[in-house]
Formats: sequence, C-alpha cells, structure tokens
Amino acid sequence: MRSKIAYIILVLVIGGMASCTKLDEKLGSTLTKSQADSVIKVAALLVTAYDGLQLPFQDQSNYWALCEMTADEAVAPTRGGDWDDNGVWRALKLHNWNADHTFIGNSFSNILQLQFLATNVLNFHPSDAQAAEARFLRAFSMFATLDGWGQVPFRNPGDTLLNAPKVLKADEATNFIISELEAIIPTLSDSAHAYTANKNAARALLMKTYLNRGAFLNRQSPTFDAADMQQVITLADQIIASGKYSLANNFFANFAYNNDVIGTENIFTQRNGPGYSTTRSGNSSFCRWAPTLHYNQDPSGWNGFTTISDFYDKFEDSDTRRGGSYAGVTDVTGLKVGFLLGQQYGAGGVALKDRKGNALIFTRELKLQETDPNTLEVTGIRVVKYPPDLTSKESRNSNNASNDYVFLRYADVLLMKAEAMLRTGDAAGALVIVNNLRVKRGASAFTTLTLDNLIDERGREMYWEGWRRQDLIRFGKFLDTWQLKPSDDPKYLLFPIPTSDLSVNKNLVQNTGY
Amino acid sequence: MNNLLFCKVRLLCSLLLLVAGIASAQNRPVTGKITDENGNPVPGATIQVKGTSTGTAATADGTFKLNVPANANTLVISFIGYVNQEVSIAGKSEFSISLVPTSTTLTDVVVVGYGTTRKKDLTGSVVSIKSADFNKGIVTAPDQLIQGKVAGLMVMNNSGAPGGATTVRIRGNSSVRTGNQPLYVVDGMPLDGRTAKPSVNANGLGQTPDANPLNFINSFDIQSMDVLKDASATAIYGARGANGVVIITTKKGQSGPPKLDVNYSVGASSILKKLDVLDAAGYRSALKQYNLTAGDEGSSVDAMNSILRTGITHNVNVGLSGGNENGVYRASFGMLDQQGIVKKTGLKKYTANLNGQFKLLDNQRIGIDYSIQAAHTTEQIAPITNDAGFTGSLIGQALQWNPTLALRKADGSFNLLGAGSAINPEAMSAAYDDDVNINSILANLSPYIKITDDLEYRFVYSINHQVGERETQIASFINITGVQDNGQAYYGVNTLTSQLFTHTLNYNKQVIKALFLSAVVGYESQQFNYKGRSMGGLGFTTDELKYVDILQNPTQTNTFISSFKNPKSELQSFFGRVNLNFFDKYLLTATLRADGSSKFGENNKYGYFPSFAAKWNIANEPFLKDNKTVTQLALRVGWGITGNQEFPAGAAQEQYTLNSNGGASLSNVANPNLKWESSKQLNAGIDYAFFNGRLYGSIDYFNKNTTNLLFNFPAIQPAPASNYWINLPANVINKGFEIVLRGDVVATKDFTWDLGVNATFLTNELKNYDGPPVLTGSISGQGVSNAYAQRLVNNMPLNSFYVRQFEGFDDNGQGVYKDNGNSMYFLGQPNPKTMMGIITSVNYKNWTLGANMHGAFGFDIYNNTANTVLPIGNLGSRNIAAKLVGTKEALSNPITVSSRYLEKGNFMKMDNITLSYKIGNIGKVIKGASVYLTGQNLFIITKYTGFDPEVNTDKNINGVTSLGIEYSPYPTARSFLAGINFSL
Repeated sequence: MRSKIAYIILVLVIGGMASCTKLDEKLGSTLTKSQADSVIKVAALLVTAYDGLQLPFQDQSNYWALCEMTADEAVAPTRGGDWDDNGVWRALKLHNWNADHTFIGNSFSNILQLQFLATNVLNFHPSDAQAAEARFLRAFSMFATLDGWGQVPFRNPGDTLLNAPKVLKADEATNFIISELEAIIPTLSDSAHAYTANKNAARALLMKTYLNRGAFLNRQSPTFDAADMQQVITLADQIIASGKYSLANNFFANFAYNNDVIGTENIFTQRNGPGYSTTRSGNSSFCRWAPTLHYNQDPSGWNGFTTISDFYDKFEDSDTRRGGSYAGVTDVTGLKVGFLLGQQYGAGGVALKDRKGNALIFTRELKLQETDPNTLEVTGIRVVKYPPDLTSKESRNSNNASNDYVFLRYADVLLMKAEAMLRTGDAAGALVIVNNLRVKRGASAFTTLTLDNLIDERGREMYWEGWRRQDLIRFGKFLDTWQLKPSDDPKYLLFPIPTSDLSVNKNLVQNTGY
Repeated sequence: MNNLLFCKVRLLCSLLLLVAGIASAQNRPVTGKITDENGNPVPGATIQVKGTSTGTAATADGTFKLNVPANANTLVISFIGYVNQEVSIAGKSEFSISLVPTSTTLTDVVVVGYGTTRKKDLTGSVVSIKSADFNKGIVTAPDQLIQGKVAGLMVMNNSGAPGGATTVRIRGNSSVRTGNQPLYVVDGMPLDGRTAKPSVNANGLGQTPDANPLNFINSFDIQSMDVLKDASATAIYGARGANGVVIITTKKGQSGPPKLDVNYSVGASSILKKLDVLDAAGYRSALKQYNLTAGDEGSSVDAMNSILRTGITHNVNVGLSGGNENGVYRASFGMLDQQGIVKKTGLKKYTANLNGQFKLLDNQRIGIDYSIQAAHTTEQIAPITNDAGFTGSLIGQALQWNPTLALRKADGSFNLLGAGSAINPEAMSAAYDDDVNINSILANLSPYIKITDDLEYRFVYSINHQVGERETQIASFINITGVQDNGQAYYGVNTLTSQLFTHTLNYNKQVIKALFLSAVVGYESQQFNYKGRSMGGLGFTTDELKYVDILQNPTQTNTFISSFKNPKSELQSFFGRVNLNFFDKYLLTATLRADGSSKFGENNKYGYFPSFAAKWNIANEPFLKDNKTVTQLALRVGWGITGNQEFPAGAAQEQYTLNSNGGASLSNVANPNLKWESSKQLNAGIDYAFFNGRLYGSIDYFNKNTTNLLFNFPAIQPAPASNYWINLPANVINKGFEIVLRGDVVATKDFTWDLGVNATFLTNELKNYDGPPVLTGSISGQGVSNAYAQRLVNNMPLNSFYVRQFEGFDDNGQGVYKDNGNSMYFLGQPNPKTMMGIITSVNYKNWTLGANMHGAFGFDIYNNTANTVLPIGNLGSRNIAAKLVGTKEALSNPITVSSRYLEKGNFMKMDNITLSYKIGNIGKVIKGASVYLTGQNLFIITKYTGFDPEVNTDKNINGVTSLGIEYSPYPTARSFLAGINFSL
C-alpha cells in the first residue's frame, strides 16, 4: 500500500511540474527598444545615416541608373547572353518601364530608407550640429524622392512604423526642403570636409531646389520664378565667396582615388575606401568604371555600360573632359580616362584583344541588343569619369576603391548660377561664367549662350554624375527622341510608385499614366 | 496506448467472467492451431493465458499445446502484423484460431490525436498506413514510406540527395510562406519541424539544400503512420493543425518470450537519368557548324561521370522485444550507410530505440510507458546548391564542362582554368568537404493512473534535443574568385530543443445501452529553443591540414564569428474531445483546443479551434444489416477551424539587432495583433465496402479556406532595413476530391491479387488579396540578376508562373517574346491538379510481388537548369544542351526567363517493385525468414526534359516559398536492393 501511495505521489509531482505560463516572450539574440537605447549612440546613428547614401546613389543599379540610363548619356546594351537582366536596362533606355521595374522599386525604398536613417538621428537627442547634419541628409533624400516620383512619403521622428506614413505633395515637399535647408545653414559647419554635411553643401542643394521648383510643380512645362532664380544666384555667390573652391586644372582629379586631397571642386561627397565603402550596402565608386571596362582591360571590368555616339560628338577634340591619359593610371595599366573609343591598350602600350582574340577596338556603333557574336563585346564608347584606384589589388575592382563619390561640385554651382542668370535675362553675365569654365576645360569660348548650348554644356561637364535626367526635364528635353530612344510619353517624366509600396501605403497616389 | 482498446478489453472481460463463472480449479491442457487469413499456419504466434505469464508459441505447423490454470478463462493470441485475439476457453480444450491481419480490416485501430479509435468509428478524414504497407527500398526518412499511399497527400523529394528535404503537402498549399509542411507527431511528441543542421553559404556557391527533419527516425521502428487530413481530425492540434498532421507511432514490444527480429539489405544506386549534353565529338561538330574557331581543346571527357559513382547502401536493423502481462519492452538498433550517387556524398545513420510499457501494482491501475530514441546521422554533402550564380554548383559545373577539355593534365593533376572561367567539377568535388553530424534524442516518459474503471489520468513528458555540427571547407586550389589562393572554412553548431508536458484525462463509458461515450480533456505546454554559433575564416597558409582545425591561421580581419538564439517559444494549450456513439450507427465528435503562444502578438495571445463531425453508419441500419453486397457504408461530415503559426519567434515584437560597429538597429517592426493563419475546412465523405470487404474505399470532398494569411513585408518606407509580420485578410482556397478504391481482385487459398488506386483532384486559388505583389521563385545563373519566375496574385493558384511569353525566334535567331518582352504573363502553375497512387500486390503461395506507383498531373515545372546552365551561348567555352544544335537560335540570343523553359510536369513513377519469398522457419532457430529483391525508382513516364519531374529546388525569395523549379539539383538515383528478414 505504501508503494502505491508513493507511485501516486510520484505521478502527481511529475504532473505538477508543468504549470501555467504567462506566455511572455523574451528575445534571444536581439534587443528590445529600451535595451537598445543604451547601446545606440547618436554619433553612430549619424554615421549610419551617411552610410545610407551609398546604395541609392553610388550603386550602378539604383537611382544613378534611373537618372543616367533614362537620359542621353548612358546605355547598358544587351551583349548576347550578357546584360540582358530581363530587360531592366532596355526599359530604362526606351522609356517603357512600369511599376514593377526592379531598379525603380529598389531606388524608391533605398532613398526613403536614407530619409528614415536621418530622421532616426533626430529621435535620439542629437546635438544641434548633429541634428543639422541629419536634417541635411533628410533633405537630400527628400529632394531625390521628389525628383523621381513627385511625392514624398514622410515620417516624423518616432512615428510607429507599422502605420503608413503621410505623403507630401510636390509643393509641400519643396517648401519643406527649402525651409529645412535655410534653417540649418547657420548651424552647419563652414570648415568640414566635403564628405560631411556643410554650409555650402546645403546652399548647393538649396540652389537645385529653387532652380527645379518650377519643374517639380509642372514637369511638362516648367516655369522659372524670378525670385527663385535670384535665390540661386545669391546662394552661388555665397559659395563662391567662401573661397574654398576653384576649377581644377585636371578635370579628372575631382574624381580620382585621392580626390579628397587633390580635388578642388567637391562640395559634398561620400567618403569611400576600406572601412568606409566596404562596410556599407551597395557598390561604391568602382562601379563608375567596372561596368564599362572590358574584361581584358586593367582593371578588368564587366563589359557593359557605354555612351551613345551622339553624346560623344557634342565634345570638341580639344575638350579635356572628353578624356585622355591620367597620370598614375595610364602609365601603369595603359587605361585612359574619359571616353574610350578605338583600340585599347594595356601596360607598356600592348594592344589589347577581346576574348575571341580579335583586337579590342571600341566602336561608335551601338544597338540596344547586340547579337553579332563577332562584335558584341566591343561596341559602344566607354566612359571612365572616375580614374580607377590602383593602390591595391582589391581597390581596382571592389568597394575598397578610395575615390570619394561626388554629389555636389563647384562647376555645377557655376553652371546653375549661369542658368539662373540666363533665365532672368542676364545672358551676357551667364556667358562669361560658362566661357570661363569652357576655357578651363580646353574648349572654345561660346559667342552666345542659349538654353540649348547650356544644357549641352551641362552634359559635357556633368556627364555620368547622376544629374542628367533632372537637367533634361528642367530644360524640357527629356521627352525628345534621341539615339536608341525612338519615342516617348509624358508619363515618363515621373517614375511610377512601385506596386509594392502603393499597396502598403494608401496615402500614395500612383503617378498619372501608370 | 489506446484507451478505447482498454475499454473494449474491460468490457469483454466482464462478459467473460459472467459466462465462465463455473470454471474448475485445476490445471488442464488446451491445444490448437493458429492460422492466418488464408488458412496457412502462423508459426511463432504467441499464445498466453490472459492475466498471467503462462504462455507458449506456435510451432512450425501453427499448433500449440498449453497447460492452463483451471480458473483461466481467456487466451490471448498475438503475432506481429495481426490483430490480437482473445479466445474464451471456458468449456473447450481444442481451438482453431484464425488471425486477422492488421492492415485491411475495419476493426483496425487508428491513432488520432491524444488517443486512438477504431477505424470504423472514425468521424474525420484519417488514413492509417501500417508498416506492412510501407514503400520498400532505400528510405532515409519516414515521409517517403507513405509516398503515393494516401489520397490528398503529396510527398515530393526536393532532390535526389541522401537525407534531403521533402515537400509534403496535405490537401495543397495553403500558406504563402514557408510553413506548409504538416505537423509531425512522434509517439505523442509534436516535432519542431526544423533541423539542427547549420546552414552555410560559401562564397559564390550558394545555399545547400535543407535536410529532412525526420532523418533521425528509423523506418524499421515505425509501426504505423496516420495522416490526419481534415479539420475535424486536426483541430485537436489547434494552431498547428492547419497543414494536416502525420502521427508516427513506433513499434512496441509484444507480450511473450524474447524475440529478435533481424533485417538486412544491401543495395546499389546509380543515376536514373542523365541530361543530354554534347559529347566531345558532338561538341566539335557543333563548333564547326557555328563557325567557331575556339573551343576545341583536343580531349574527350565525360564530366558528369567524373563526379558520379555507383552508391552502395547497407541497412541493418535488429529489434529485440518481449515481456509479460506486467510489462513489455522493445529495443532496436539500426544502421543505414547510404552512399550517394555523387562522389563524397552520403548519409550514415545510427539509431537506437528503447521503449517499454509497464503496469504496476497488483490491480495494474498504475502504469508507466517510456521510450528513448537516439540517433546519430552524418550527412556528407557535395557543393550542390539551390542558388549558385555564374560559377555554378557541382552539377551545373559538370553539365557545363567543355567535353573536349581534359579534366586532368598529363601529370595527373587537375586541369584548372583561370578565375572567372569554368570550374573543373572533378577538382571541385576534391576541393570541397562538407560534413554535418546531428545527434538527436527523443525521449518520453508517461505515467498513468486508472482512477476508476472508466477514467484514466495520464501525464506525458517528452524531450527532443538535437545538436547539429557542420564542418565545411573549400581548398585554395579551386578557381573560384575569393576562394582561389585563399581557401575557406566554416564551422557551425546549432542546437534545437523542445520539451512537452501533457496532462490528459480520458473517460470511456457505455453510459446506456444505446450510447457509448468517450471523452478526453487535457492541458499541454510545449517549449522550443533554437540557437546556433558559427565561425569561419578565409586565407589559409597551408592545405596540409584541415582548415576547420586551424581557424586561427587566417588574419583576424579574415575570420568571422556569429551567433544567434531565437526567442524561446512557448505554447500553452487546453483541449478536449467528446465522442458519442449511438447504437454504433450515429457518431458525433466535437473537439476544442485553445492554444496560447508566446509568439502571438499581445492582443491575440489565445486562439480557439473548434471542430465538429458526424457519421452515419448506414450499414448498421436494419435495412442494410443483412445485406450480402454492402459490408460497410458510412457517411461522414466534418467541419473545423485550425491554425498555422509557422512564423519565427519574436515576429510580433520590436527587435533591434546588434551591429558589428557596436550599435544596434531596428530589424523587426512590432505587430501586437500578429496571430496564426486560420483554416476553415469542410469535409464530407463516404466509406464503403462491398462483397464481404473485397471491394472497399472512400470518397471525400474537402474545401479548405485559409485566411489571416501570414506575410512578411519590408517595413513601409521611410523605414530602416527591417521587416514586419502581418496577417492579411486574403484567402487561399484548396478544394477537391479524394477517391480511394481498393479491391481483392483474386482471393483464393494460394493466389491473391489486390489492387488499390487513390486519386486526388485539387484546385488552389488565392482570393481577396490586395496587398503588394509577392515575388518568389528566384531564377539563378548568368545574366538573370534579380529574375524571378513566380508571383502571387489574386484569383490565381499560389506560385503561379509569371514570365515572358516566348514566341519563337526571329530571322537573326533572337528570341521573340510577346509585347517585345516588356510584359510578363501568368503562363502556368506548379500545383498538381491531379495526384495518383497505385498499389498492388500479387501473392502466390510463398511468393509475393508488390509494386507501388505514384504520379502527378496538371502542373508546370520551370527548368532553370536548361535556362541558365546549358544555353546555346555557352558554345565555344562551355557545354550546351544537345537539342539546341541546329535550331534557329543564334549563339548571341540572350538568356531570358520566359515560358520557353516552362514544361509540363505530368509523370507516373514506378517507385518500387518488390519480389519476396517467405522461406518460413529454418531449423529450430530461425523463424519466419523471408528474402526479397526491390527495385526502386525503376522508371518515370514523363515528357519533362530535366532530371526528374519530382523536383523542388528551394528558390524562395525572402521566405516566400517557391514551388516547381528545377535548378541543377542532386540527381535522382535508381536503386536495386536485396534483403533478408528473419526472427530468432
């Protein structure tokens, strides 16, 4: 009998081991908000916000592609089996993209992510200086969203992420960007490196906002308010008066691996190199040369991007911006910079061959879909605006490259000032500025300045820097037909809201025509 | 084990006591003969006096002689594969007893959740497959045992890899995300469903496929597998029942003297089908035909053969069992050594299983059941991955290798090309080492008390603990960018633990003559823990030592360490079930389970899952009772709500992940409303048996409506790189019919032939969805960056193929696509509309020939292998599909994802044919010996041009499951086995 009782007790004890639980969930290897608060340092958040610039703006398949492949400067032709990528590149060139386009979707998210990262700094009690830098980055992101999509989803610091954010219309967003930039200019540093948000960076971005305001509000027929143009001129004068910048003796020095030291024009950049670009998402400045160079060149490339010959032909022979040798590159690997056409050479002047063993001769001819197996590797004029970083094996072809990525540049400021003057009747004053630049670049002086030769000049100066689409829209030329783009439709002045974003944020309105 | 059975026994006992109350008080002899259903003797059958240890075994001719105590009333006759039979011996001394096999009788016991029931009392849609009916051949995980056997159940081998994962679907896909697999319950323990195999994504090689989470179970130890299909059957599993439940019951000991069962088989496997690529001569002539000057490297090799072999498999199983009326035990040991058909692959599995059921006290009112299953598996893996890029994985590399290019140089060393060029598959195989060891314990302890004759309390504690360890390395000589001149190594350990506490009260009573009541209520708590640690390095200075043994060798910047621990997930449940049986004619079942989960958001901590079912046994009505034709006829209707909670722990909470820079960033956005997916299912069925049970089967209609679908979306921008989980109010509707027809076509004394066919007709549709487009089915390979082939869209089946429409070639040999390739269209879908299984067996005297076939129809497969591994543009540097030569296609035609690579998947597969011969007893020692020959995967009837239409390479995008895509998978093997079974 005793054993019976013992068994019963044993069973009940074991049975009692499992009692009711409250089902509270403790995280394993992640932190709650309150735990994270002590880990998160506002300085690190600000670094993270800066880091958020790389993927949308530097990577070859993000917003850069949306701004250059859709314009008259850059093409990614399909070369046999290569660079087909389900037609994403052709859609950009032909202006027939839709709301499912991968690059459009990725760009929209990545730019907005930058907005969040910048806003997030404001949520963690930053100093005034840190807040000003974060607000600059937020304005930079909002400017790009406005530029691409004409409306800007916006979150205040601390908003609940499960809820859909409100959406600023074009005029609201423009006014917000202007008021923000004006508010932070007094606080921003005057002496910071170009890779840190600074007074002149804010001024240059403000110039772009005033200059494009009429286009943002009406892309089919932009207007240019005289007061806005005056703001552009005033801001340019403030930048000029800072005395920090001068036109470079070597155009390409602004983009070289040591451009943080030898570049004289850079106002706002992103710092690249080991420990910087290598720790961020997305490709960095090396993807301004790797996608265009042939496999057998040094650095070896991906044999893709080119320009069109009509754009190449806008340059005079003497124009240094069209390219040539660059010390430290051409003498080492034989690679020239600028536009590459004709026979290509390796180190020691050896004529290079393509993979089939034929001479590596880049040609003017280009089709969007190259099919001739004998020529598909070599068609198209290649573009190397950033002289490759040859300092190490890794830097030639990866995010180890130290070329800081250039967003805002002195020559751009000068051309914007000239444009504002031209648009407000001061053609003579504008001509002086433009000719000063042209002469510095080895081109002949214009006799007159018109909107037509000014947009061409902007192309020659700013090619592949990510501004071409915006410039063409402002000059009313984005819907023109050009080489490899036979037709167009006004709906392509804006990108579609990506289908996935549209369905989760009911405050977004799909752009007309999509 | 089975409460209803206990109850039956008790009732019978009482009756017998009444009848046999006048037994004499001395020992007396009884004799008899035990025969099977065909009248053949059953040597070795155990004859025992009920309630005592007195017993004997039948001799070779089936006869027995036993002295029984005078007060003995009942003999219990048992033999594996047959229903235990009790025979009253009151007033008789000679018996002729015919045993009934367990598999085909309506009195079969079927395991349902938290109990058992007689098959004829089932109200839900449940199919029980006994061990005798399992598939034969090389079986690494138990799900393959019932492939093709159960209507509505799809078991698809994702690839031919030994121990590889399977895609198991009961009545179709109902979830958008991963988590469509059924719940597996092993001896009462619901499994976690994951494995402790650490994952590795080696540079450029991609992700190796998952392992089968059931690998740790030895098929030899399984008594039965019960598939619970409809909601009325699975609602007792509540928030985990929506995808159906598979209950695995292991073999238990039988009362009697110790008995040793031995089973050994040896098999040889080789590739079932090779893809038709060019050989050296064909390659040379193709080069000429296309005016290519480069590409002929002068040799002649078969690269695929260089990585393949004939795999030898040994399988040994030994089971020892016995016991008496106070307790039974069974111990078993198994060893499976399966060589894969790809070199340096295979699965070794060692299992040990011990279980016992003991009754304590004189009146046997207290008992304890226990079992321990221990397993050690070693998976040797080749670099065959789901998502290899340009450089390909081993199968892709072998397919692509230029057949005129030597694999080895004249000096015998590997012929290696430059970085970025093709990779020598033979060298790759030599350079890659990848071993996964998983140790697993599944143990449970279950004491019980019979509080009264009708009421039993039972407690179950179970633990399943798995530790998986993986060592992976790629030698520095292989020409993969990042690996070449560096070498890479990874080491990982994952631990998976779950614990279960269950309390149940069972009540069974013949309340009045007209009503039998059985009920169960219970409380259950289960916990799941999963964690892992990994480290690795790049840049080793020597190949002399194993890299994983010298991880300190690379510079610190080239090493990495990471670890994770999932939040502990807890499930707390209350459940109950009531069965009412009126006159054996009208049966009602109601169940309710309340599941609380720590994973659910704070606003939805508990889910309630009810079900109801009714059954009318028409055959028991007076008007059919003596009908000669209709043996059984029953109508069943069931309805219930079940859930699916397969989202990660922590999904409802805000989570910040620590970064390597010391900071932390938001990785998961909180959703306090997050909850389970909810499935409402209606099932209506007919069970029938005619002509004394010679023709029988069932017909079921089901309609399963799943809503509150779980999605995981990137946070709504502007937001950090984080995701959130949400239930969307869309519906996935799976509906269809299942038809089962089995018959004993010939049933004579010496010759029998039975034939069974099951067919499933199924449609699948996503409804009321207005969320963002969900993309899945990533397509891998050169030139298809960011490409995908499937998209979820309203009013279409899940995983519908969404691709360009291929319309042929233009005059330049370039592909032409509808709307110039600017638009994509829904052009196919991978969910089979019809599935079929055919089972047959022919018996002539001691010879048995059994065959199992299964097939699927009405679905498409995307052939990613043909698309990107063997395109015509490879000619001149790599190999191409032979059929492309001489077509209109130009070498420069881009690789494009399109309907050109969508193929009809219809197939019928001859799974296995087994010829066995019953030798019977050999001498006095060896009993019940039989030998057999099995051919497995003998042939496939299909028009699909890939390796095997039964394929499912995991091409998920962000956790959204893909289906029906082939990407250079581990090829399917054809095997031949010879085996012997006997007992001692």
